[in-house]
Amino acid sequence: MILSDKSIAEIREKMVRYPRRKSAILPALTVAYNQLGHLDEEIYKEISQVIDVPTGEIAEAATFYTMFPKAPTGRYLIQVCHNISCALLGADGLVEYLESKLGIKKGETTPDKIFTLITVECLGSCASAPMMQIGDRYYEFLTKEKVDAILDDLRKKAEDGKADSV
Amino acid sequence: MEKRILFKYIDDPEQVRIDKYISRGGYKAWEKALKQMKPGDVIEEVKKSGVRGRGGAGFPAGLKWSFVPKDSPKPRYLVCNADESEPGTCKDRQLMECDPHGVIEGMAIASYAIGSHLCFIYIRGEFGGPIRSMNKAVKEAYDKKMLGKNIFGSGYDLDLIVHTGGGAYICGEETALLNSLEGERGMSRIRPPFPAIEGLYACPTVVNNVETLACIPHVINNGADWYTAMGTEKSKGTKIFSLSGHVKNPGNYELEMGTPLSYLINDLGGGVIDGHKLKAIIPGGSSTPFLLPEQLETPLDYESIAAAGSMLGSGGVIVIHEKTCIVWVIERLIHFYKHESCGKCTPCREGTGWLEQMISRIEHGQGKPGDLEKIDTICNNILGRTICPLGDAAVMPIQSALKLFREEWQYHIDHGKCLVETECPFR
Amino acid sequence: MSDNGNKITLTIDGRQVTVDRGTTVLEAARSIGIDIPTFCWHPKLKSVGACRMCYVEIEKFRTLAVSCATECLPDMVVHTRSEKVLQGRKAVLEFILLNHPLDCPTCDKGGECDLQDHTFAHGIDDSRFDFPKYRFKRDPKSTFDDYRIGPEIIRNQNRCILCYKCVRANKEIFGEHDLGVFQRGNLAEIDAAPGEKVDSLYSGNLVEICPVGALTNTDFRYKVRVWKTKQVKSICQYCADGCNLTLWARRNRIFRATSRRNDDIDEGWICDRGRYGYQVANAEDRLTTPLVKKGEHHVEVTWDEAIKTIAARFREIKDKKGGVCIGGLAYPGLDSASLYTVSKFFRTILNTNSIDFRYDYKMLPEKAGDVYSEMTAQPFSITGIEKSDLILVLASHLINEHPITHLRVRKAVTKLGSKLYTVNPFATKSGDISTDEIIYRLGTLEALINGVCMALTEQSNEIKTKYADKLKSLIAPSSVEAASKISGVEKERIHNLARAILDAKNVTVIVGEILTGSATRENMASAISNMLLISGIPAKGQVGFLSKYANSMGAQRLGVMPHLPDATVERLKELWDNYPEQPGLAADRILLAGRKEEIDSIFVMGCDPLLLYPDGEFVRESLETLDFLVVADMFESKTTAMADVVLPLAGPAEMSGSFVNIEGRIQTFDKAINPPGQALPGYEIMNRLAAEMKNPLYESDRQLHDEITMLLDMNHKAPAIMDVQEAKYIAEEPGDEYNIALVVTDELHHFGHLTEKTKSLSAFCAESFLEISPALAEKYHAQNGTLLRVESEVGKVILPVRISEHIDNNVAMIYKNFAATPVNVLQMRKRRVDYVRLSRVEEK
Ligand SMILES: Cc1cc2nc3c(=O)[nH]c(=O)nc-3n(C[C@H](O)[C@H](O)[C@H](O)COP(=O)(O)O)c2cc1C
Ligand code: SF4
Ligand code: FES
Repeated sequence: MILSDKSIAEIREKMVRYPRRKSAILPALTVAYNQLGHLDEEIYKEISQVIDVPTGEIAEAATFYTMFPKAPTGRYLIQVCHNISCALLGADGLVEYLESKLGIKKGETTPDKIFTLITVECLGSCASAPMMQIGDRYYEFLTKEKVDAILDDLRKKAEDGKADSV
Repeated sequence: MEKRILFKYIDDPEQVRIDKYISRGGYKAWEKALKQMKPGDVIEEVKKSGVRGRGGAGFPAGLKWSFVPKDSPKPRYLVCNADESEPGTCKDRQLMECDPHGVIEGMAIASYAIGSHLCFIYIRGEFGGPIRSMNKAVKEAYDKKMLGKNIFGSGYDLDLIVHTGGGAYICGEETALLNSLEGERGMSRIRPPFPAIEGLYACPTVVNNVETLACIPHVINNGADWYTAMGTEKSKGTKIFSLSGHVKNPGNYELEMGTPLSYLINDLGGGVIDGHKLKAIIPGGSSTPFLLPEQLETPLDYESIAAAGSMLGSGGVIVIHEKTCIVWVIERLIHFYKHESCGKCTPCREGTGWLEQMISRIEHGQGKPGDLEKIDTICNNILGRTICPLGDAAVMPIQSALKLFREEWQYHIDHGKCLVETECPFR
Repeated sequence: MSDNGNKITLTIDGRQVTVDRGTTVLEAARSIGIDIPTFCWHPKLKSVGACRMCYVEIEKFRTLAVSCATECLPDMVVHTRSEKVLQGRKAVLEFILLNHPLDCPTCDKGGECDLQDHTFAHGIDDSRFDFPKYRFKRDPKSTFDDYRIGPEIIRNQNRCILCYKCVRANKEIFGEHDLGVFQRGNLAEIDAAPGEKVDSLYSGNLVEICPVGALTNTDFRYKVRVWKTKQVKSICQYCADGCNLTLWARRNRIFRATSRRNDDIDEGWICDRGRYGYQVANAEDRLTTPLVKKGEHHVEVTWDEAIKTIAARFREIKDKKGGVCIGGLAYPGLDSASLYTVSKFFRTILNTNSIDFRYDYKMLPEKAGDVYSEMTAQPFSITGIEKSDLILVLASHLINEHPITHLRVRKAVTKLGSKLYTVNPFATKSGDISTDEIIYRLGTLEALINGVCMALTEQSNEIKTKYADKLKSLIAPSSVEAASKISGVEKERIHNLARAILDAKNVTVIVGEILTGSATRENMASAISNMLLISGIPAKGQVGFLSKYANSMGAQRLGVMPHLPDATVERLKELWDNYPEQPGLAADRILLAGRKEEIDSIFVMGCDPLLLYPDGEFVRESLETLDFLVVADMFESKTTAMADVVLPLAGPAEMSGSFVNIEGRIQTFDKAINPPGQALPGYEIMNRLAAEMKNPLYESDRQLHDEITMLLDMNHKAPAIMDVQEAKYIAEEPGDEYNIALVVTDELHHFGHLTEKTKSLSAFCAESFLEISPALAEKYHAQNGTLLRVESEVGKVILPVRISEHIDNNVAMIYKNFAATPVNVLQMRKRRVDYVRLSRVEEK
């Protein structure tokens, strides 16, 4: 199993609360994503076994949602909101700045596998634009100095092997 | 003036703690409802208060609750819609993160009113902070026996599940949300049947927005008359507006319904940044038509904004200054709607894609004569022709922009570049 | 007022129409002949309102309405062809066509494509879309997206219009999850579930309901244009459900079979055996000439010579020892005329009753009127299942034996809320949707049923006073406790089942093959009959002891059995100039008599007992000792190889005829093509033979038809069984060495001995295998595909393993449809349960 015992236990615990097992699909995908940082067909198969819902149903749901990367990413997935409120306050410039700082294009991962950079739709942080999400944390009212500090801090954490504290 | 009711303690980090919440009169309304009121009384009170849905459509909450069949043998469900994904809107997030018990209490009272013993809050998956905050608060509420079995000794049981999404704007649409909650793909369902009759697991279900539900404890505590004393004739109480875009002080502001837009943008928001002139305002989230600077005095309530040609929607006010190309704005938006179309019905699935291609080529200087007319007909073939309002949401800002800023579009086509160069620097 | 109770009156295109409440505008319009175009709507699926093709304008509605999902309301005024409606539909077509490849010239759907038809009808010629079309590509190097998602299904996503009918039907109707929609928005695509193939028994229906050419099947692709074919009315020749088919033929070749929807039977769905099974007609290796064994070898001869040879030998045997020394075995999947003429030939020409269609039953009764035969003659109705609030499936792998009846049960349970109890020795697909899936130890059904009887007496005073004493003296075990112990089913579940029976208002009981095939069939039938009698089920519902083959019911009614009910005998005596007095032998006795040299010759019509009789060694010895074996069949088989004379038989597609389905419904089918070579229909063979020996069996087709109709139309309702029967369970324990219970059955995609001749069904499965539980597999360190030796006391075979979650640890399932592996060598005709042992091949 790719899923850890802890994840499986967590999925089971959530599952029993719902009137129907199938409702546990999203919670299960979330638990798996939190453990692994991405989803794929092998994981759907495992979830299928844990919650006893056909693999196809799980894949149908999983591929509908865009929050879970469907292939491994760098240690830190940087998701920049490029929707309107953020765009009005420089989201495109933020992406360019990140691209130049990280030396990659959007959609790519740094060679050291620490950062992956993508753009996403509105994250509900419109009044704190521009912003980006890394892990499950929001970084708001971004400026160049803030971005510098954030990247330095994360890179350092990754190098110290403390990445999971994000 | 700001009128803080839901936001009264929003800036106090202690408010998330149940003790603090209770010490400030929290869960009093829940106790009152359970001990002193019949479910029907609660519905009546909410009906009288005139609280309208804050998720976008403004449907009266009490009326919606009253549609739940009283004699159905099936279980009923209450679902709190916390999928908040409409660009320009970020109020529910703050409510959940900073005052989670207010949301829980509202959900509990609404559940009791419709006879639900299991309620859900569907939070968009990206909301790490609010999810943590809600989970913690729910646990506290169970520990303090505000949830669970035999609450306040009334014999009433209520469970609450925090359910998180996976990244899909459409799951904010109530029927798509229910599908998603059932483990199906988050695609909208055709109505009728309406959720109040056949919703979650084909059982009677009420879906309400976070802010709508957060109003409920205040209505129960203070009475409908207190609530109706605020606001305008048909838009009662207060509403939280998310102010974003080209303003000095963006943020969430709770205002009495009917407060002029100018007060929000200029007095609270500090006006447009960088000394630029105002160009346009999107008043109710990205799906609503634009207002122009000359409409700045429009009162912020459902009727007045509608009269001005737009919609109050979710209260996401986006301010746009003069150094912004409107085609660029629309390209951003149509890209979003195309990305978020669930793909179930033809006009939305195919139409948003086609519009994106058309608008993108105009924005990139490759527009052709006749493109604008074509865009207009495509919009007309989507408007009112789709299963859920996402199709409408996608085309309304486009049609509005075509009408109000036609010369910019035409310039783009004729000259292959912007009439107004966008200046939105990252600093 | 036009709203009276459950009726609603509205106006559509100026015409008034009154419909039931709940009717959609689309259905109301169709009911008065107004056609509204659709893509995503299907009469048997829930409306989803997705494609938006079915727009209508309804007065007072703000926007266009989708008629497929709008219920009629009183006084509605609907316009289906207003300018606004036509504009709306055109817009939908424009949207759908944006990225559609328009590859009609190379698309198999051409000529029957809804998209093509609607596009023509709405006069859309020019596209306003001036971007390159989006292309789904599995293989980036290819220009096409043709990609196989199942053994028979090719998907082309570019043509797909996302009506979701395939996925909806697959889940809603068939309960399958091997097909899904993946990704979102306009990138959404139809595909097989990860790691799976779309290979359920119903997969072909998904192709059939696709309104465009997004799903096509290998069977039909690129072979012929539909408008060049003629459509022939047909009935499926495999199981006894009797699905209605259309065969699409051109130039003496059949190109495909599709459903010819009959709401009483199939509701427009057919299984893949029925869909692809027609291919036996086209097979390359059909028998085309009569063969006579000369020395060691079969030599081609003329019909004349073949018939003369048979006639001479039969006359010789008859003259010397009497016609009783000739036995006949006839395939119950033959048309009524062929079955009838076999019986008539044996009885009137050979003067013997030794004729039987039950060529694959263990141990048959030796007289007429046994409980089992009485039960199989009871009327049953497929639509009747929907009326039942309780459905009881006993000893039936329903999806396998009666795929379409299974769908009706599924519908009753999933759509109409009926309760289902399945009682089987292994898990089945029906069990997945049951209230309780009761699994008993193989061979202990009568014990379990006796337990249910006792539970009924405990729960109802009325039953107790009336039957308890009688039951106790006649049945064993006679307590719930003991029944539970023997069958391995918990007491509470036996009680719950009894409770459900008592509570139900209308019950359908379905009894299947697992029982049919057993040596103690009558005993079990008695136990079931007791249960029915004391609970009064026949009065509050229906009982179906379902026959297996396309015409089993016809064979029974036409008298293709040695022992017939008195009424039938009377009728036959009136009809014929001769009826043999001496009792005949049943199929197993005929074979036994062959061994004992009491029978000198067997005539086999259309079946392969050497492959399918549940005791391989027994049949082989018997056939070997015969003086003279005649076999008529469509293909060479193990049995034809032993024959002295082999006759080429025409299949059902090559003649007109009839089958009688499980309901007793007589269904006729038409001739689609000519038989290959010199092959002849069975009835013609029998007639020629009769003419040669004495006189023809019929002078005209009319005469033949009239005699058959007269027999089939007779009232076949068996006298209801009026009293409690003896039903004692006799323990038959496994030995120490051979201790895994054996189930030999049809593979899901196969039926009998013919379907392995079809390319399509062989694509699903082409060889026998051994299905065992994960635990048992582990015991032998076997993975999927590992070869294991399966041995019984009498025989052994080597089979690849397939691991299945659905099987008990002490059961081995084996599939019998493949000539290369005659698995019946493991079975013994007297054993109620056969036991085997397993071992790894390389270990010895
Ligand atoms: C595309 C779309 C997205 C929506 N997103 C949200 C949302 O994020 N949150 C929300 O409360 N309502 C959203 N709605 C509105 C809901 O469908 C529904 O009307 C609302 O949750 C009802 O609650 P209310 O009556 O309290 O407003 C959305 C509607 C559409 C059509
Ligand atoms: S494959 Fe065919 S039936 Fe299935 S959704 Fe696509 S167009 Fe419809
Ligand atoms: S047939 Fe009505 S929407 Fe498709």
